[in-house]
Amino acid sequence: MLDHFTLMVLHALLIAVFFAFLWKREKQERWRYFWKVFAALVLGAVALGWLMYPFPRP
Amino acid sequence: MPESTPKPAPRLPLPLPALMAAAWLVPGLGHLLLGRRSRAAVFAAVIVVAFVVGALLQGELMFPQSGDPLSYLAFIAGLGNGALFFVARFLGFGQGVVTSPSYEFGNTFLLTAGMMNLLLVLDTHDIAVGKKDW
Repeated sequence: MLDHFTLMVLHALLIAVFFAFLWKREKQERWRYFWKVFAALVLGAVALGWLMYPFPRP
Repeated sequence: MPESTPKPAPRLPLPLPALMAAAWLVPGLGHLLLGRRSRAAVFAAVIVVAFVVGALLQGELMFPQSGDPLSYLAFIAGLGNGALFFVARFLGFGQGVVTSPSYEFGNTFLLTAGMMNLLLVLDTHDIAVGKKDW
């Protein structure tokens, strides 16, 4: 099956498309919002992963 | 500043409760019935893809379990998928394989698909009553 990072990117993609179409009306602002949400989800998850790195599970 | 006059509610193809029920049962149907064809297609595609991926990843469509309050919330979110929930259960999908490495990912996809569909029901309501004109 797909690896975890790919699944996370797919999830972020679906969420970003959904909210771009739910909340934004014009094409240009949809694109802008899509990239904002997509980047926030993917980069946020990677950043959170790095922050958790010093705290391994026992 | 002059107070904006509320826009007249659009003519509805169905009574409002039936429209909202249709929006819940089939992702995107509420928007389709209100003439928002392209948005309906996008919403339906996103929710169906999320649901199918979740089911293929061996996620679980949960039922409420006594002593586990979060299972009630998970049940509501899963039920938000509408007909997909019942069809998947009927076909034996969404049972959940806890030992599968993708179980939690599957749950995430299934739950978010349901919650997105519930948001669509609310959006359908807003369009139907004239709060949103697009």
